[in-house]
Amino acid sequence: MPDQAQLNLTHLCEASNPAMERTTINNWWTEARQFGIATVQLALLLVVLRQFQIESNAFLRIAVLAFGGFVIHYFLPASLRLPFFSILSLAGIAIVLGGTTAAWLVGIGGLLIGICHLPVRFRTRTLLLIAGRSFLAVLRTDWLAVPWSKVIWPILGSMFMFRLIIYMYDLKHDNAPFSLARTISYFFMLPNVCFPLFPVVDYKTFRRNYYDIDPHKIYQTGIEWMTRGVIHLILYRYVYYYLTLAPAEVTRPREFVQFAITTFLLYLRISGQFHLIVGMLHLFGFRLPETHHRYCFSSSFTDFWRRINIYWKDFMMKIFYYPMYFRLRGRGTTVAILLSTLFVFFVTWLLHSYQWFWLRGSVLLSGPDVAFWTILAILVVINSFYELRYGRERTLTKASFNFAGFAKKAVCTVATFSVICLLWSLWTSETLPEWIALLQSVAHVKLADLGTLSMLVFAAVIVGGVANSVATPSLVKSRTRFSFQRSPLFNLAVLTFLAAVGIQEVYTQLGANAATLINSLRSGRLSRLDVATLEKGYYENLNRVERFNSQLWELYMNRPSNWLDVVGPGLERFTGNFLQKELVSSFVSRTNYGSLRTNRWGMRDKEYEKTRPPNTFRIAMLGASSVMGWGVGDDETFESIVERRLNEEHPESYEHYEILNFAAPGYTALQQVMVLDKALSFHPDVLFYVAAAREPSTSANYLAEVASKGVEIPYDDLKDLLSRAGVPSKPSLPIASRRLFPFRNELVSWSYRTIVGQCREHNILPVLVFLPQVQKGGWQEETPDILRIAKEAGFVVWDLGGVYDSNDVTSIRLAEWDDHPNANGHRLVASRLYSLLTANSQQIFSSKLADKDQ
Amino acid sequence: METTSEKMRETLKAFILKEFLPDEKPEELRESTPLITGGILDSLATLKLVAFIEERYKIQLQAHEVDVEYLNTISSIESLVRSKL
Repeated sequence: MPDQAQLNLTHLCEASNPAMERTTINNWWTEARQFGIATVQLALLLVVLRQFQIESNAFLRIAVLAFGGFVIHYFLPASLRLPFFSILSLAGIAIVLGGTTAAWLVGIGGLLIGICHLPVRFRTRTLLLIAGRSFLAVLRTDWLAVPWSKVIWPILGSMFMFRLIIYMYDLKHDNAPFSLARTISYFFMLPNVCFPLFPVVDYKTFRRNYYDIDPHKIYQTGIEWMTRGVIHLILYRYVYYYLTLAPAEVTRPREFVQFAITTFLLYLRISGQFHLIVGMLHLFGFRLPETHHRYCFSSSFTDFWRRINIYWKDFMMKIFYYPMYFRLRGRGTTVAILLSTLFVFFVTWLLHSYQWFWLRGSVLLSGPDVAFWTILAILVVINSFYELRYGRERTLTKASFNFAGFAKKAVCTVATFSVICLLWSLWTSETLPEWIALLQSVAHVKLADLGTLSMLVFAAVIVGGVANSVATPSLVKSRTRFSFQRSPLFNLAVLTFLAAVGIQEVYTQLGANAATLINSLRSGRLSRLDVATLEKGYYENLNRVERFNSQLWELYMNRPSNWLDVVGPGLERFTGNFLQKELVSSFVSRTNYGSLRTNRWGMRDKEYEKTRPPNTFRIAMLGASSVMGWGVGDDETFESIVERRLNEEHPESYEHYEILNFAAPGYTALQQVMVLDKALSFHPDVLFYVAAAREPSTSANYLAEVASKGVEIPYDDLKDLLSRAGVPSKPSLPIASRRLFPFRNELVSWSYRTIVGQCREHNILPVLVFLPQVQKGGWQEETPDILRIAKEAGFVVWDLGGVYDSNDVTSIRLAEWDDHPNANGHRLVASRLYSLLTANSQQIFSSKLADKDQ
Repeated sequence: METTSEKMRETLKAFILKEFLPDEKPEELRESTPLITGGILDSLATLKLVAFIEERYKIQLQAHEVDVEYLNTISSIESLVRSKL
């Protein structure tokens, strides 16, 4: 219960805090120097943000606005600073979202804020807010049409879903005078528009800590945290690009350890973003606490809960834990703590789903999610009671070194980290069976693995112990030993280093490997795993992206909801056999990219007779989505372009040339064996098998999929391979994937040999055309195997590698979120393919045997 | 029950030292030492302190008062208690 004296004092601090007053002439030089150092650091930070393409272009614009705004803000009188920040925040929203959308966002937000301050009872206001939010929730589900852009939903949700709860709580219990500028600043605070995942800033702290100490210390802390955020984000990229593994790649204990650790370390993105956000707020006087505190070095589960996402923990404590404890304490301390802690974790789980709804528009309910929060809750409860009984180590001063204490702390740190990584791997799994299948990889332990793991654990114990000792030297004094003179210089050095190595002329001097590494860290591209996911092209199966693959999630968020919306029940149908799906016949639709029609045979092509017409050279083309022409019009596919050119230019003496397109989205090498049967019935002279980038892994995944679904497999060789791989009958998908992964090349080899054998039986020349992705990436790892296997199988191999070279990727791909070639890309492929046809005309066109001719 | 501010602060300090900082030199804990933001008082420790205050001074604290504003330093705790006596 704040008394009036406190309120007056707080108010006074905001309006005329001595720290905010103009300094005397004697202090002028000190202030000028501090301001100069701060602006130099911000300028360097801006260079680093740009060089390393930190987050998005929108964030760079906001950073320019914020850093420029800081300079103006610095010289403003204290009374104008908060209004200035609120205007800057609103301007930031307009810059990123555009004027109209920003107006809707601010208008809706303003209504919600208005309800908070209606001159009616608190309970009535609460009910009105619940009604208002329920109405917005209905709109969020797209049940009703809205006049504003859907872009605002994640941002509106991010600004209001938790802050309204805190704001109302503080309105009830905190009697601080209302300030319109402060309220606007709180809800629409500057960098929020770029970050749908935003720390849950406490309103009271936001108000109370505003310029409560020397402004220069606040600014410097903010700059250091932003620098730390950038470092987190660069480390995140390294983990994301180079260290992450797909579940199917985890077959041994060592890989499981790598999978679990790297999955957890992807959280660096969140901690990096939060440091950037809160650091930026410091530039405007909001001395907010740390959002994360060396969470990798937690020495217990309660310690972990206190260190990771501290704002969330504080939010839970304030709104749920303490009120629940005070309500229950009549039943005894033990019961009250137990129930309150469990309640907090239940609400945490519930509010994560609530957050998911506002950001994604759908409800999150999954086994791993429930299991993760349940297990973590139990661990924290047990840990809490242990601490309640035995206490925990606290110190005001740096503790002297003690080997037993060091060893205990080190072991606890490593054990906590290990369990958290294990839990995180559970949380990231699509299903519980998938996670259990991952765990089974640990069973295949070998002596060499044990040796490696032992060394790893030993090293981790040493590192954990040292890190924990250094990380927590003195809880109190570490906060008071701030040295403005030393810290800015160190930060300056770090920023100068980052800015320098981000310059191409500098990093190219560091040797090829270092240059490649730095170059890769300079951009926010997708990892090889996420690119592979994009190659699937349809996105539907990904429903857990936001927490762990936020870059991919952002692409999805930007993807228009009607993106190639022709794909749906209309274009494909299920076959009920090993092929699983095929294009329906005589389908016609218009997309944003032109017409999409199939002929009566279910080919994305014009009409052909089943019998080859006289004096006609016929090519059958097998492939997947790029060959079918995903995202381009009927006349723009490279298949149709080449066919047109052949008929216009007549490189040989045939009257007609036909290329029959049997491709369908997502077809793998295994399915092509079945498609070939259909193609053979059209009596082609040549077969063009267009190989995609990841033939081996997609084949293994496909066989795993059909095995797990119990689809009848019509090929004895594949049944035999399943048996040799140890895939049980009716396996779970993760188990089947993991066991088949080592057989991926063998699967492709079987497909290729089968296709070549069939072609030879029918006197058809088999040509494998390797079609690369529009941009270089991890898919290239499988290319040498594909080409080698194809040659060994007897294909004539045409490698179109380099077909897109010398073209900017944005000019040849469909969109940022879709790596299929666009019409321009198809033209490039057609040109190369036609050149190869004419250059090899003897081999291709003489393949037509006399006995096949009419 | 203590009647002077100084006595009350000494009682609070003694409790905090005994319960949470048993190996610490008393002079290291000052009236302005940040207890919550400094990591001395976590949620469990805070509840222990609340229970002590309520029992010792026969007052009732509210859930919203379990906050940095009221419990972060010995001085602020003393002010809170005094406002309720």
